[in-house]
Amino acid sequence: MTPLVAGVAIACGPGGRGGATVKPGPDLPLADRPTELPAVPARIETTTIAPDDGHTPAARSAVLDVMVAENQRWMATLGKLPDPAYYLAYQIVEQRIVALDAEGGALIGDSDETDRILDVELRVGAPELDNTRSLSDDPNGFNEPLPRRAVVPFGTDGPAIANHLWLETDRRYREAVQALTYVRQDQRTLGRKTGVPDFAAGKREVYIGKPATLAFDKAAWEGRLKRCSGRALRGAATRGSCGVVFVLNTAWFVNSEGTELQLSWTTAQLSISVGVKADDGQGLSRLEQAFAQTPDGLPDDVAVDKLIDTVTRDLDALHKAPLAEPYVGPAILEGRAAGVFFHEVFGHRIEGHRQKDDTSGQTFSSYVGRDIMPSWLSVFDDPTLATLNGQPLNGFYRFDDEGVRARRVDLVKDGKLVDFLMSRNPIGASPASNGHGRKQPGLDPVARQGNLVVAAARSVERADLEKLLLEEVKRQGRPYGMVFTDISGGFTNTSAFAPQAFKVNPVLAYRLYPDGRRELVRGIDISGTPLVALQSIRAASREVETFNGMCGAESGWVPVSASAPSLLVEKLEIERSFIPPDRPPVLGPPSLEKGGPR
Amino acid sequence: MSRSAHHRLRPRPARHLGLLAAAALLALSSPAAAKKAAPLAPPSQAVTEAIVDAIAEEMDRALAQLELPGAPRPYHISYKVTEVVVNDAVASLGHATSKKHRHFVNLECRVRVKIDGLDSGNFVVAGAEAIDGVAGTSLPLEATPRIARRAAWQVTDQAYKEALIQLRNKLDARTASGAGKSAPPSWTEVKGMVGEEEVRVPRLESLEDIVGRAERVSAELRGVPGLRDSRVALTSFLERRWYLTSDGTSITDTRRVSGVMLVVHGQAADGQELAQYFTRYGQTAADLPTDAELSREARNLAATIDALGRAPLIGRYAGPVLFEGEGAAGIVRYTLAPHLGGTPLPEGLRPQEAKLFGGALADKLGLRVMTPFLSIVDDPTTATSHGKAIIGGYRIDDEGVSGQRVEVVKDGVLRSLLTTRTPASPTDTSNGHARRTAKGGAFHGTATNLFVTARGGLPPAALKKRLLAEVRAAGLPHGIIIRRFDDAAVTAASEMSRRELLQMLSNADQSLPPPALLAYRVTPDGKEERVRGAQLGEVPIKAWRDVIAAGKTPTVFNFLASTDGYLEHKLGGVDDGFVPSSGIESSVTTPDLLFKELDLRPSTTGLRARPAVPPPGGR
Repeated sequence: MTPLVAGVAIACGPGGRGGATVKPGPDLPLADRPTELPAVPARIETTTIAPDDGHTPAARSAVLDVMVAENQRWMATLGKLPDPAYYLAYQIVEQRIVALDAEGGALIGDSDETDRILDVELRVGAPELDNTRSLSDDPNGFNEPLPRRAVVPFGTDGPAIANHLWLETDRRYREAVQALTYVRQDQRTLGRKTGVPDFAAGKREVYIGKPATLAFDKAAWEGRLKRCSGRALRGAATRGSCGVVFVLNTAWFVNSEGTELQLSWTTAQLSISVGVKADDGQGLSRLEQAFAQTPDGLPDDVAVDKLIDTVTRDLDALHKAPLAEPYVGPAILEGRAAGVFFHEVFGHRIEGHRQKDDTSGQTFSSYVGRDIMPSWLSVFDDPTLATLNGQPLNGFYRFDDEGVRARRVDLVKDGKLVDFLMSRNPIGASPASNGHGRKQPGLDPVARQGNLVVAAARSVERADLEKLLLEEVKRQGRPYGMVFTDISGGFTNTSAFAPQAFKVNPVLAYRLYPDGRRELVRGIDISGTPLVALQSIRAASREVETFNGMCGAESGWVPVSASAPSLLVEKLEIERSFIPPDRPPVLGPPSLEKGGPR
Repeated sequence: MSRSAHHRLRPRPARHLGLLAAAALLALSSPAAAKKAAPLAPPSQAVTEAIVDAIAEEMDRALAQLELPGAPRPYHISYKVTEVVVNDAVASLGHATSKKHRHFVNLECRVRVKIDGLDSGNFVVAGAEAIDGVAGTSLPLEATPRIARRAAWQVTDQAYKEALIQLRNKLDARTASGAGKSAPPSWTEVKGMVGEEEVRVPRLESLEDIVGRAERVSAELRGVPGLRDSRVALTSFLERRWYLTSDGTSITDTRRVSGVMLVVHGQAADGQELAQYFTRYGQTAADLPTDAELSREARNLAATIDALGRAPLIGRYAGPVLFEGEGAAGIVRYTLAPHLGGTPLPEGLRPQEAKLFGGALADKLGLRVMTPFLSIVDDPTTATSHGKAIIGGYRIDDEGVSGQRVEVVKDGVLRSLLTTRTPASPTDTSNGHARRTAKGGAFHGTATNLFVTARGGLPPAALKKRLLAEVRAAGLPHGIIIRRFDDAAVTAASEMSRRELLQMLSNADQSLPPPALLAYRVTPDGKEERVRGAQLGEVPIKAWRDVIAAGKTPTVFNFLASTDGYLEHKLGGVDDGFVPSSGIESSVTTPDLLFKELDLRPSTTGLRARPAVPPPGGR
């Protein structure tokens, strides 16, 4: 469910005085030994959906009218007050979440819940300086808005919905005015001030999507999940779980710039998970997930069986695998692992607001226009991509959570850093949003990734990548190289109070010996620093794979994807992961002792 | 599956036990249910005899084999399986804001270990409060013995390891403090009980019915001037429990509750936040008010908010206070009930937490603790009080012990406390009041259906006259009547900013009862004036010695006693769902109570600017 995890250190800081003139960083020692690669790009074939495709004005809900009217009613007054509000946005998200979970052949969870959540964003002051400006000394964020999961009645009843909009707007205005007094006082005491504003204006957008419907055969899914989880509990596994989450989302957004959006879509997610505790106490698990737009788009039973085979086979192998030793040397990150690696090591550091926060390491702030990775690599994020190489992408959306149209952003072009992922919180280098302000309902948006794509202008066949790895092993005099085929997530620290390091958690890591032998190992993390890691990439494969998942950061969980070719990295550092001081159960499993079914 | 392995520990039920269960059901059924037999909820599909057998087999195996080298083996293991089915809904202004059906099954295991008579329980491990010898997990919604047994294996293992750590820390702490191993025993033995016939209860009200009712009643509050926010919540839930212990207990019980809650919020002329509520709980919806009665209550609440908005803030006061109706139930609930438990404080509890823990009567057995005309009984075995259904009853407490009627105070003298299997002295035994858990893993003696009775109770007019006599005697300009306390688990709908929340957190005195929501000044001529912001000062247990009069007519009040404190609710606010079904089912039956002297002070909590924009619709 949560394969991608951003560093929580991100969420701990004040700041907001960034964006001043940034001195260029030192040149990076790129490709001192360039690898000759064929000028054949890695295969990327995509389909896109334009944000306003399917605009259906006739499907407009009366909920939007209520929101527009209440927004205008408030702004008509608030704009004239001594502490004027200059921006007011409402977002109502109605979510029906159906979750079915089975464990070991039996249904263990069955919920079907619908909520309507209201978020109000209200800005007081002026775009140049408003209530959201971080205080210089507010490490606990006392001056930040308090997200509150305000509720709104179901249906389209105007007076009922309007009353709840009014309640939360009143609270937010009171809170914003109070916060602005602290901001102004703070600014008066500061010697160093920034000219970068707090908010970027946006253009009016109107889009009405048809209401989606969620259709599924509950009894059939219960049967499938029971069967799935029963089959998954085999081999070394002491836990075998299968679950689905079906979500019907309808989001209405209006703001004081005149934007009116109605978006409705469904998502479906299947998870197959197995786990066991190794004899030394390490928790071992394998998770495979599939995402689709509708329940019918999820894998059929044949495909599910293959996924079960994969996770149980991997788990059995992991259970027998030895603990790895610390290592520095060449490695291959296979497609999905490379995607997660880029998401963690690069993607979170390219989120615009982190370049502004004084407590953030601002790893890439000083490298705009300069080489940060090999010239044959480019990276972009494009939420309008629906599929890549035929696979649906999880990070698709039409408009972000600030009412801004989603669009492709070239982040790295031919090795040079060119742009950042931007919400409506501007920075010096990027004064406007590029449609990446995202959040889960109930939280405030920040710049987030959507569909991150690593594009290689030069590539080799996958088999040749291993040959290059073994050549590198030989050149570096290492006993073996590493191959990572799956990474479960990781942690990237962007706080200036700690080293700008990352740590990602490989699930499947192999030693590849010069004789071609592969040996699975466990108990390791990949660590390093982003600038060094990116400039160590030596080659890419022709095939591109996609990792679909959910990403968590300070604005909550959002769906994302990361696509990348397999990458050969000249040097990666591997360290022993933390293994909790636990031990397996004192007694063996009950049914094993009896020889009965497990 | 062979049952022979656990026959020794878990005797099979005798034939008459089915009759016992039926009798228990009858005894605990409500008056409304007795009038018209409601359709029964279907038996559990999740927890069957095979499930209990599977857990019993794992218990037997753990008792026989579970042992880490050099460490003591478990000497007591208990399991509680809880199946909960809930329908609840919330509506505001005629439309639902939340509707939920939930169904889940949990398995909880408790393991105790001991060395030289000192056992692991009721001890808080410093810096690791979650280590308490208790472990839990989920069970499937359909009976699957294979999974139940595996789950029992895993939670028993975890609870055992935790119990060992807890015991080690307890020994170290006692060594460091010089207390050594000599102490009252930490655990009392009880004779195992068997009663495996499922207790059947009436079927839950359907989610559709609940939603419809919440919407209908909440529509009464549309367009009411002076109301900022309002909501109506209904719940219907049942909780099936199975207890299995290594001392031979294998017994089941079921609780069933329906409830309704109306909450309104407003704002006074000076900006102070106002809240009022109305709650009723019973064993089924038949015990609740009708739609027409609820509509009337909704309108009453709206009128009360309107009146409160114009009411003056109370001034400082020290003098006689009369608690009437829900106010009397409230003063019992908040200032007396927490002290009736006979379970010793958890060792290792921080002093500031210990202060808020209750238990002020622990060393006063045999002494006069209340005014001589007051007596207290706690009785979980009854289902009615003065003809009304009450919800605090049960057959078996959370340690698998039969609930017993306990005479707590007789004519002002403390006779007994509400006890669990964690004794305060070597002679203590459980009287079946284990309901509330606390840090350290032990269950603590908790009130269930609490009955306060008074000899020589006065009619309402005479009681008020007595109040005024006291006022005159003290030379005061007025007395105070309190008719309702706040219940943050019901009213918390935080409209606060982050800074306002922090301010409240730093200013709050958690030793005080909650603010009074309905308070009146009453002048010597008998006129009443509504006041707001009434905050009682500390009400020490000895204040109960100075109850100078009581009423004749009892108030019967059901409630769910939240395990969180007032401040925690205020900080958390009402999250999505606003589920009115969490908390310990409880009731208080009490006459009105007149205290000789209590302190009151004005509370300006929730003072804020009035809205810059009027509510929609020009209200």
